[in-house]
Amino acid sequence: MLRHTVIQNVPIAHAGGVRTPAAVFNEIFTVFLGLGTLVGIVVCAYTVYNAYAYRDTGEESKADADRPELGELPTGGGGGKKLFLSFGISAIIVLSLIVWTYSTLLYIETGPDSQQVQENALEINVEGYQFGWQFEYPNGQTTSGTLRVPQNEMVMLNVTSRDVFHNFGSPELRFKTDAIPGQSTKTWFVGQQAGTYEAKCYELCGTGHSYMNATVEVMPRDDYQQWYNGSESE
Amino acid sequence: MSDLPPKSSIRRWFLTTNHKDIGILYLVTALFFLVFGGLLAMLFRVELLTPAADFLGESGYNQAVSTHGLLMVFWFISPFAFGFANYIVPLQIGADDLAFPRLNALSYWLYLFSGILFGISFFQGVTFPGGWTMYAPLNTPAYMPGEALGATSVVLAMIMFVAAVTLGSVNFLTTMYRMRAEGLRMRDIPMFSLSINLTVWMMLFAFAALLAALIILSSDHIIGTNYFTYQIDGDTFATNVNNPGSSMLWAHLFWFFGHPEVYIVFFPALGVMAECFQTFTGRRLVGRKWFIISMVLVALQSFIVWMHHMFLTGINLEIKTLFMATTIGISLPFDLMVFSLIYTMIKGRVRYMTPFLFSLGALLLFILGGITGVFLGAVVLDYQFRGTYWVVAHFHYVMVAGATALFGGLYYWYPKMTGKMYNEFLGKVHFAVYFIGFNLLYFPMFIAWETPRRVFNYPVELTVWHNLSTVGAIILGGSFLIMFYNLFVSYFRGAEVGDQPWEFATSAEWAVASPPPLENFDGVPSYASGTLEFLSPSDVAKRQSGHSGAAADGGTAETSPATDGAGAEAGALATTETALATGAGTAEPTGHEHASHASFWPFMISLGGFLLFLGLSGIRTGSMLYTSLALVGGILGFGSLVGMAQEPFFAPETAIAERWPFADVEKMKLGMWTFLASDIVLFGAFIGSYAFIRFAYGWEAWHHDLIPEAHVTFPGLVNTYLLLTSSFAVVLAMVAAEKESRAGVMASLGATFALGVGFLINKGIEWQHLFHIHTEAFPEGWAITTNLASSTFYLTTGLHAAHVIIGLIIAGYMFFRSWNGAYLGDEKPIEYFGLYWHLVDIVWLFLFPLFYIL
Ligand code: HEM
Ligand SMILES: [Cu+2]
Ligand SMILES: [Cu+2]
Repeated sequence: MLRHTVIQNVPIAHAGGVRTPAAVFNEIFTVFLGLGTLVGIVVCAYTVYNAYAYRDTGEESKADADRPELGELPTGGGGGKKLFLSFGISAIIVLSLIVWTYSTLLYIETGPDSQQVQENALEINVEGYQFGWQFEYPNGQTTSGTLRVPQNEMVMLNVTSRDVFHNFGSPELRFKTDAIPGQSTKTWFVGQQAGTYEAKCYELCGTGHSYMNATVEVMPRDDYQQWYNGSESE
Repeated sequence: MSDLPPKSSIRRWFLTTNHKDIGILYLVTALFFLVFGGLLAMLFRVELLTPAADFLGESGYNQAVSTHGLLMVFWFISPFAFGFANYIVPLQIGADDLAFPRLNALSYWLYLFSGILFGISFFQGVTFPGGWTMYAPLNTPAYMPGEALGATSVVLAMIMFVAAVTLGSVNFLTTMYRMRAEGLRMRDIPMFSLSINLTVWMMLFAFAALLAALIILSSDHIIGTNYFTYQIDGDTFATNVNNPGSSMLWAHLFWFFGHPEVYIVFFPALGVMAECFQTFTGRRLVGRKWFIISMVLVALQSFIVWMHHMFLTGINLEIKTLFMATTIGISLPFDLMVFSLIYTMIKGRVRYMTPFLFSLGALLLFILGGITGVFLGAVVLDYQFRGTYWVVAHFHYVMVAGATALFGGLYYWYPKMTGKMYNEFLGKVHFAVYFIGFNLLYFPMFIAWETPRRVFNYPVELTVWHNLSTVGAIILGGSFLIMFYNLFVSYFRGAEVGDQPWEFATSAEWAVASPPPLENFDGVPSYASGTLEFLSPSDVAKRQSGHSGAAADGGTAETSPATDGAGAEAGALATTETALATGAGTAEPTGHEHASHASFWPFMISLGGFLLFLGLSGIRTGSMLYTSLALVGGILGFGSLVGMAQEPFFAPETAIAERWPFADVEKMKLGMWTFLASDIVLFGAFIGSYAFIRFAYGWEAWHHDLIPEAHVTFPGLVNTYLLLTSSFAVVLAMVAAEKESRAGVMASLGATFALGVGFLINKGIEWQHLFHIHTEAFPEGWAITTNLASSTFYLTTGLHAAHVIIGLIIAGYMFFRSWNGAYLGDEKPIEYFGLYWHLVDIVWLFLFPLFYIL
């Protein structure tokens, strides 16, 4: 399925405007972090407050009439309403968060809405091995260690492995997928800023795992074109 | 049967089958593994002071991380919880021991020896370096440095550990369903016991799946099957195809076990928290019923969330959505439980004793762990968190929160177990240092979450966070010195405590002396009147003659004579994969007055098993040493099994007990049922594995590429016939026993045996033939290592054949006993054996079409 013509002849489908996976992640993460921190603080504070408020002061209290006794059979313990109220609230928070993220999951799974952007996506085959990464471009050429992609273009990665289980991901560009021998998985991203990014292996794969990095070079279109055409004739 | 020496004697600890002794052994051993795993963690935390492998080295780092995880998850946390379970559960439910005391001892010794085997792996060159999740194909020798014998030992140690767990699960389930005090319904048992009940249910099935994965993996290591191999020496298995299913097969098997495992780890801790909250707040658990329902839901649902560990493996959107939903769904019952604990404090008389501090701390930590788990449940976020320190931080906040509660449990029950009070001040100091150390260790991991897991060269700008973590690790580790000192010194100098050192404790363990007497209760515990009472022998006799008290959930307190099930804890047992409890052994004539509490065989069996496994770990090198170890171990283990089956051992069932819902299933049969249930999962996982890699390879191509013409249906057909007939013969034996016909019993058992042997001979001939074929496609025969199809064929049917062999050993043993007139009028042992044999038979009915026809 190599498409040799890719870059040269098709009209440019600019993906500079699409929501990148990185943007999606940052947005959701921020909301989760905000809400999570809030809920965490409230619940923990309330817990500690109760532990403090009902500390044993040695004074008698009304509730003392009904303390548990040795050898009794357990009974309900009451308080069901309150329990369900707080349970209900937490369930609503969790469920709405998840439902909200679900649409973005669909987006990440299917890619940008623009048909054109999708059709013109640059497909690159990535193969992990102990301990490095090899990239194969539509024109058949391969590079090792450095993945070169054009700026503002959707890049579709088909990731696999030649030996053991690896995982190919980039912390800045926010793509990540397992590299499984005998299987192939997909992920996509758009580099909207030219520059050099890191990619790493995220699954323990042997002694060289910690070093199994690659760089992702996001290049301005013209530079990319030049490199791409030039390398073909090599 | 030998007598039980006093506690001061070393011999006692090798002989004891008493649940309290074994509980102590578990606790001490588990704490040893905590220190072992903890020191490994210290090592790699030191390594992580700088972002480079300048201390342990690359391979050393991987080994330390991997073994730390394995030791903590398997050898520390669950056994620690089961130390309490052993000690406390029988006391809480009003039983005087577990249902099968010798199996309980056997569980412990298998556990201990599995840990020793694990320890030895460090000295076999390189131990297992592939992470606690052991992803394939990195877990096979092809990708390991050297001969990988250490890694094989680890896999075998895990198998031994699983055998221990399976025996334990069978034992606890039988105990809890057959030996509860009168009037104590399942839903009434104290929260800790209840959590253990649900834990062992999960264990029974989850560990069976793990066992399948481990047996397959060890066979890949030792006899060279190819399930988890991706290629053979860089070559494909057949034209153009490797083994595309290898990685995913492991991932599915492992996580099918792995997710329930996280609750298996956490549930006992929840139980401890519930107990401590009730006692130290002086309030009954709020919404107890809903708490229990939540736990049951979680236990069930835990088996359908495993793929959330595999969101990046390319599974399709529908499945992802499903597993996202189940994952979020399973977090909701936990919300309820958390709130229930929080509300329990209201109107309480909260006393900040050490056990409560640890429980409260555990709750706070768990809240954070749970919230960060919800982050992971959102698939889009999980994509980025996968393989990073976020996951590491999350699961430490939940799992070690669990451990935190268990340390609370240690303080809580320490006075019960020793009769001495620990030093409260030191306990509080321990908690303070522990809590600070914990958060200093794990919280920075959230901040440094961009660090990939299991690397030593993290981004330099994160150094400060990693260094904080390391400092936290040292503080956390150091806090245990306080605990060990406290518990050790208090044992000698602590204040004496009475039966109930904690005000407002309710459960039955606080109604007996500290420490409790050997047989727990004077008199028979009963809740029939609504509160705990101890019945005198005459009360019991009265109750047995009258009709028994009924319980509201349809349970009846069934009465049975005290001699019921005499010596029924006969057992032929457990070697590698088949922990088989059967009544085939000694149904010793009654007449013993006293229950037995000592047996040397569990230790000997485990020692034999240990030597056998140690030998197996290196047998592929052909070394004399390893081979002879395996031989000696095998003989010792087998001999000890026979010894145990011969040994008269009396484990009486309580005269009156609450037995819902298994009032009509006697102890041995219930034990057998539960064991067979796990065996079904084992075979299910094997069959599933076969289908999985065949499907990944190409269902039709498999047949075409990998299977020789000579592999024909006929031998399988004959074997189907032989097995079916032999099952029929077992039924005849039962009938003959009922009719008290010695000749009939002997003839039928003899027929069963002969047919089984016929099955094996036929199989042997078939295999020999296939091994030695010479065809164009298979010039060197169709051996175990030849290809994927041969691997699956020989291993799966081989596992079945191993079951047949074990069955035959039992059948042979029973044949000899029937010669001496056993079983006449008492067909029960034949029935138990029959259950097993029929299952083996049924399994074949699945294997035959799968491996011969399709
Ligand atoms: C609030 C409920 C929870 C949710 C929603 C949740 C969710 C998750 C998810 C989605 C993962 C996979 C992360 C990944 O690898 O990409 C994960 C990992 C993990 N969780 Fe949880 N979790 C919860 C509670 C727990 C509990 C109670 C425990 C244990 C006591 C636990 C232990 C673990 C462990 C050990 C892992 C990592 C396994 C590994 O990759 O080594 N989790 N959790
Ligand atoms: Cu790697
Ligand atoms: Cu999970």
